[in-house]
Amino acid sequence: MSSRTTYIGAVEIGTSKITVLVGEYTGRELAIIGHGECSSRGVIKGTVVDYKAASESTHSALEQAERDAGERIDGVFLAQTGGHLEGFYNEASVNVKASDNMIEPGDVRTVCDLAKSKELPSGRMVVHNIRRPFRVDGRLVPGNPENLVGQRLEVGYWTVHGQEQRLADNIHVIRGFNLEVRELVLASLASGHMITTPEERQHGVLAIDIGAGTTDYVLYRDGAPHTTGVVPVGGTHLTNDLSIGLRLTEGQAEKLKLRFGRADVRAKDRTQKVWLDGNFAIGDRQFPQMAIEQITSARAWELLEVVRRKLGSAFSPETCASGVVLSGGTAKLAGLADVAARVFGVPAHLGEAPTWVRENMRDPGYHTALGLLYYGVSSQAEKAGPARRGGGFLTGMKRLFAST
Amino acid sequence: MNSEIAPSPATRSWREIPQPVKPRAMSSGGRWRLVMAGVRSLALVLFIAGCGWGVWLIVGALHEDPRRRPAEAKAVPMRPPELKTMRDGVLDHAWLARTLELPPRVSLLELDLDQLSARVLADQQVLTVAMRKIFPDRLEVQITERTPVARVHVAMGDTPRDLLVARDGVVFFGTGFDPLMVRSLPWLEGITLEQDGARFQPIPHMADVARILAEAQFSAPHLYHQWHSVSLARMELDREVEVTLKTGTKARFSAKGNIFVQLAHLDDIVERLGRNSGARARIDLTLGREVPVTLETASADPRSVPLIGGGVHASPLFPRSSSKTKREL
Repeated sequence: MSSRTTYIGAVEIGTSKITVLVGEYTGRELAIIGHGECSSRGVIKGTVVDYKAASESTHSALEQAERDAGERIDGVFLAQTGGHLEGFYNEASVNVKASDNMIEPGDVRTVCDLAKSKELPSGRMVVHNIRRPFRVDGRLVPGNPENLVGQRLEVGYWTVHGQEQRLADNIHVIRGFNLEVRELVLASLASGHMITTPEERQHGVLAIDIGAGTTDYVLYRDGAPHTTGVVPVGGTHLTNDLSIGLRLTEGQAEKLKLRFGRADVRAKDRTQKVWLDGNFAIGDRQFPQMAIEQITSARAWELLEVVRRKLGSAFSPETCASGVVLSGGTAKLAGLADVAARVFGVPAHLGEAPTWVRENMRDPGYHTALGLLYYGVSSQAEKAGPARRGGGFLTGMKRLFAST
Repeated sequence: MNSEIAPSPATRSWREIPQPVKPRAMSSGGRWRLVMAGVRSLALVLFIAGCGWGVWLIVGALHEDPRRRPAEAKAVPMRPPELKTMRDGVLDHAWLARTLELPPRVSLLELDLDQLSARVLADQQVLTVAMRKIFPDRLEVQITERTPVARVHVAMGDTPRDLLVARDGVVFFGTGFDPLMVRSLPWLEGITLEQDGARFQPIPHMADVARILAEAQFSAPHLYHQWHSVSLARMELDREVEVTLKTGTKARFSAKGNIFVQLAHLDDIVERLGRNSGARARIDLTLGREVPVTLETASADPRSVPLIGGGVHASPLFPRSSSKTKREL
């Protein structure tokens, strides 16, 4: 990144809404200066299915954010989600070349290239190559292994890949506004970085972002992302279930879900009923509360069970000492943290944005967009090299978030 | 473990997806941004081109051939240059016209002031010159002249010439000065003029000589008018000047001493000598209050002055009570 000020847009094209944040990045510090939001159209389960509708709503959010910021966006960090995203783990090892067994940059480069070199199926493209910590003769090395002494250097990469056409569709929606996509960031990584602390990531933590159409998760171990995944199930499925089960329109079902939906069943009395609108107007109806809770809780349990199953052996309570952190709009469903704790067997809580994030950005629905800016900028800053001044990037961001 | 596999070039990243899209795939906002980006690029190109053109014009103007100047600029003929001399200068418009040698019907734009200034300064009589173009047709020339304090006789080849010397030692021909004033200047002796091309190198120590002459001219004009020549032969070593009066009497001044006091002594001695019916003497004013006077004529009355030594008369002629003030002079 150059030292001149750039205006970066963080765009999350979600199933229910499209969120755009504008960040002013000076090369050292980041400040959120604009915000745009628009209800999403043409997007199902995180995938663009109607280019024109998706473009219109995205561009509307972009225009709104630019107006709010009073600046033109130079480039965009775009969140990626959807069922087409998959991941696999690949590792490689090399024998250290030097006669004194001191690891040289060439050894590191070779082992990294080897670990990333697995061929993808046709039509698939790499979105992220997430490196896990190096190992020197089986010993874990969290940082750079250069100049350490050992005979064998190992490294593994968690590679996230997606379908080329779907990635291109997302990029072209942004390009339709004549903006350059500078970085694709997995939505789970973005929100995960926002709601977990470095200590939690070091001890092991599972971050689950439950959106409207998809559920993104990332499991951190040893301070780095270990496994990521996407389940194409989200809050709209709960609404659908309510709609079908109680014979309601989607709007009515959504209203009931938000007001009375729970991830666990608390109602004791089957006859206890709740009003749809509560205004006793014509068309206002009563529904059994237990039925609502049973429907939403069944889907919530199922969703978390699916995540548990997809994680497989990568997850164990022993390697996830910091528990489960939930985020996303659907994470606000009452009782979801308790259910998550029971499903995963570890403590669970609703994720919160760091204290330096201003009040109107603290809703779980913004975690991904905030994380996009944070993760995208910090990853680019890492590529550009270490910061020249003391205080660190995070300190600067905290100060600026607090002042805005 | 798959350390045996070679890096595969088939692993493709999302960055390989071509980002440009056709304008028809853009929204109206996107198309507007595209147009504005084009306009900005065009404005940038035009700005750079404008800057380049400006630089080219400036460079061209700096190297412009005067003959290629527009006819309108050449159409305004210049009036005769206007001369302004500082203080009591004697150079006139005729001299200026001769010196500048401006071609007829020349325009102001065609004049090279540096060249003209050099031409004016070639005359050593001119100390400083300032030229100013006043458009459309006036050239103002302001000069400061050197004032002569002495004259010198020089044999230039076969032709002897009388030249003037300024207080800064510069030797110049002297144009336009009143002949009476020139004749009143004392001659310089005991110097060797060194030629530097068409001019002479300045005479050293002339500032001291000019100070003595100026003091004499101001404080004792009757004495100054009797001065025939001033010798600088002892200036380099002793800082002394020998003045020869028209009567043949020689008086030696010290440039380090008080000139006024030395003049007062000289005035008194010359007055006494005058009473001795044209006696010539050598007067040494360099010793302060003691003023040895050596009479050179045998007819002089030895009683008129006290004798010190053998055949040569020397005496302190000024008792303390008899010294004259400047007002009396």
